[in-house]
Amino acid sequence: MRPLTLTRLLVRCGILAAILFAVVVLALKLGAVQVSLYGLGRDLIGLLLHRTNTLSTDYGMIVLDIRLPRILLGIVVGASLSVAGASFQALLRNPLADPYVLGVSSGAALGAIVALIIEGHLNLSPEMAGLITPIGAFIGAALTIAAVYVLGRRDGQIDSTTLLLGGIISASFLSAVIMMLMTTLSGNNLRGTAFWLMGDLSTPQPRSLLYFLSFGFIVAAGAIYTTASDLNLLLAGEKEAMHLGVDVPRVRIVVYLAASILTGLAVSVSGAIGYVGLLVPHVMRLIFGSDHRMLLPASALGGAIALVIADTLARTVTSPTDLPVGAMTAMAGAPLFIYLLRRKLA
Amino acid sequence: MSTVARHPFPGEPARSSSDVRLSVEQVSYAYAPHPSQAPLFTLEATSFQAKPGELIAILGPNASGKSTLLKLISGALGPLSGRIFLNGFATHSLPVKTRAQRIALVQQESRLLFPSRAWEFVLQGRHPYGGGLRFESEEDVIIAGNALAQVGATHLADRWMDKVSGGEKQRIILARALAQQPLLLLLDEPTLHLDIGAQVDLLESLRRLAAQNRYTVVVVTHELNLAGEYADQVVLMQRGKCLRVGTPATVLQREILEQVFQAPLSVEKTASGRPRVTLFNK
Amino acid sequence: MHRNLSNSAHRASHLVLVVFALSVFPTYAQSSTPPAPSQPAMREVVDEFGRTVRVPQVPLRIVSLAPSLTETIYALGAQNRLVGDTDYCDYPPDAQKKPKVGGVINPNLEEIAALHPDLVLVTKEGNRIETVRALDTLGIPSYATDAHNVDEIISSTQKLADLLGVTEAGKSLTSELQTRLATLHKKLENVPPSRVLFVVWTEPLISVGKNTFIADAMHKADSVSIVDSTQDWPQMSLEEVARLQPEYLVFAASHSEAGTRDFEALINRPGWRILEAVRNRHYAVISDAVNRPAPRIISAIEDLARQLHPAAFQESPTPEKSSPPGHAAIHTPFDSREFACAR
Repeated sequence: MRPLTLTRLLVRCGILAAILFAVVVLALKLGAVQVSLYGLGRDLIGLLLHRTNTLSTDYGMIVLDIRLPRILLGIVVGASLSVAGASFQALLRNPLADPYVLGVSSGAALGAIVALIIEGHLNLSPEMAGLITPIGAFIGAALTIAAVYVLGRRDGQIDSTTLLLGGIISASFLSAVIMMLMTTLSGNNLRGTAFWLMGDLSTPQPRSLLYFLSFGFIVAAGAIYTTASDLNLLLAGEKEAMHLGVDVPRVRIVVYLAASILTGLAVSVSGAIGYVGLLVPHVMRLIFGSDHRMLLPASALGGAIALVIADTLARTVTSPTDLPVGAMTAMAGAPLFIYLLRRKLA
Repeated sequence: MSTVARHPFPGEPARSSSDVRLSVEQVSYAYAPHPSQAPLFTLEATSFQAKPGELIAILGPNASGKSTLLKLISGALGPLSGRIFLNGFATHSLPVKTRAQRIALVQQESRLLFPSRAWEFVLQGRHPYGGGLRFESEEDVIIAGNALAQVGATHLADRWMDKVSGGEKQRIILARALAQQPLLLLLDEPTLHLDIGAQVDLLESLRRLAAQNRYTVVVVTHELNLAGEYADQVVLMQRGKCLRVGTPATVLQREILEQVFQAPLSVEKTASGRPRVTLFNK
Repeated sequence: MHRNLSNSAHRASHLVLVVFALSVFPTYAQSSTPPAPSQPAMREVVDEFGRTVRVPQVPLRIVSLAPSLTETIYALGAQNRLVGDTDYCDYPPDAQKKPKVGGVINPNLEEIAALHPDLVLVTKEGNRIETVRALDTLGIPSYATDAHNVDEIISSTQKLADLLGVTEAGKSLTSELQTRLATLHKKLENVPPSRVLFVVWTEPLISVGKNTFIADAMHKADSVSIVDSTQDWPQMSLEEVARLQPEYLVFAASHSEAGTRDFEALINRPGWRILEAVRNRHYAVISDAVNRPAPRIISAIEDLARQLHPAAFQESPTPEKSSPPGHAAIHTPFDSREFACAR
């Protein structure tokens, strides 16, 4: 009998973090332009120690300004989607749940498209203009979260089945609205939207947005983590969980809101990247078991690793053209999903 | 078999075996599936009391209100009228966590989405004693181990829950309830999926545990002879009404049983003084 | 005792989380712009998107992110300063040999940065705003063109020439283009315009909106696009087109056989014979230069005019006009088909 201890948790997370670090270094090296690891390492250390911009212009711009922000974005988005996916799988008691099953991504897409349409009619400063798509997306996501919450209630509380139904219906409805709107978009906007819908990390985001994203991740993921042992019990059944001391309505609301916010934040900046939120929790469960105190941080780190790898492939496989990362995750994710199914996960 | 002593809760009176622990006073309940419809089921005013170490059987045919009464006792439902006290505290008004430290409910089936090992499952019983991010302590592990031992399932500790037999699963679920270190142990038709040998084993264990650990055990069942053989008190129910409360000898009598169960039967006394019911063909 | 232990374990885990979070933030905070080398003279211009941008007085390393811009650069004779273009920049043939930076919608930022450009040229309708923003973040100057009609294409060319420091070449190119347009206009002064449908795609049927430069190109060739939509690429139903009954269908293709194939494929589709233009085989195929807002569009316009109104050109049996430098003539293949679609 060996229950999870803090030590074991930290050790395992440490190993995952080390893997993530290695992946990041590799991702910094790889790309359309050749970068030498030695020179990179030397300059990075110099940077950390002296905090001066002593990077040689050869690849300083490429590494620091293009690749590093993109990798960091991939880390936060990958972690957010995976934690959200694991949470929804527990909340809805459904192993097929992913972050988008409750319609948050469709709402965000609709918000982004509306923002694009409106932007043409407004005169915005460049700073604001860069933010309008993510802001619109996040507003769309927030409204969807509220609407699905209202739809998903029964007797005043969130009910898993009703929530799932409400989410699926909302997603369908919103997708239909999106399709209608896309026919009214002019060519340029249309192309940009298509990219975004597939899931794309190639657009550098304003710094303020990245800070906001990271802060949001820490808060929301932290909130979910406080319910980690409650989630373990919830999986055995809601009545049983209540009899074991779980405040089921409170846990449901906290997890629903926090996981939806994680999804909304991720989708607002990168579009709907698929398969990460669905598969990373399953793989982590295979390795570490279903105890959410381990599963949630493992999913976060695993999701970061997975997405950085996928994004690195997306920008190197067909160099110099960028594939949208959503296409990469789909190509890798679908066969992996089939493999996991055959191992009879559910 | 040692148990780790549990400290008394603040405000609890000092206990002696003559003290009443569970007091069900004129409790009734009605359930309407929709606000505009008439109540579908009613539990009429029911009363009984139980002491530490006692095993109570709530007996009756299907749809007699047994499960509803059990849910009221567990605090999951609030009574329409009347009150249920556990050591002086009304069960429904306790906070969920405190309630879980005093009342353990063993349900019939446990649907596990992602299977876990038996010891993990039993450790869940320690959840009411933890904080938010708490990891199980050594004390918790010992208590869980003891719980498994008390139901004779120590050898099952490393098995996966979806790979054990029905009877073994029942024992592990019971161990989880014991790990909660409750005052009150409630079981809802625990013998439904068990063969006869397992049924007897279970009731024997329950009686033993009640005596050793001073639990109050309440078992909902429709098995006449199990109730007769193992219960200290029987609460006889039919269609929401509590017909009789008392020792098995006073409750399990031919006329009333025939009326409740609608079948010809006869009642005899065994050597130990307990009633045994025999059914005839119609 | 056990409670105290788990409490301090709690505190330790919280500390770890905080330290981790804090260590991530400095990476965000690193300032990104490297110290600039000796700054060349810069000036401020306003591009056609309305943005005020600081560009070098004389750009020496130019990256073009649209095929039309690449063509224009060659037409202005500035191609030796072009250090990179897109995968789709195929005209003139020499442009295919330039270093490639990816697609129009999704150019690779790393490739662009590796070329150390001092100016990147974009178009409003072809490139994405995100690309422009990305270049801004990296401190690379970008200039956007936005031509909605043929006159704007010409004025855009002049502005581009000024930007690149080849004003004289620009003047000579634009005056030639304007002369050709004026001559065309004169020839067609008294010729009633044809009503045409410009076919971008056949399934679904997509044409061009009235505010596009392609529609204006039709206009310059003494024809009128029957499509009255404000969308750029409106989808048309066959019913609607049948109601409007265009006199000619116009296809743009890289060579005339492809255009003819398109038409042949079209007439065999159910319902299309409802159009007079299909029954009478009244169609024109012009170079796909008409799709690019670049100087070469004038040639496509002339070609279209010849195909639609051959009578107006019989008095002056001159062969193709002298082309601007670096411009290959592609009229010949289309001319050979002239009689097939004569009125």
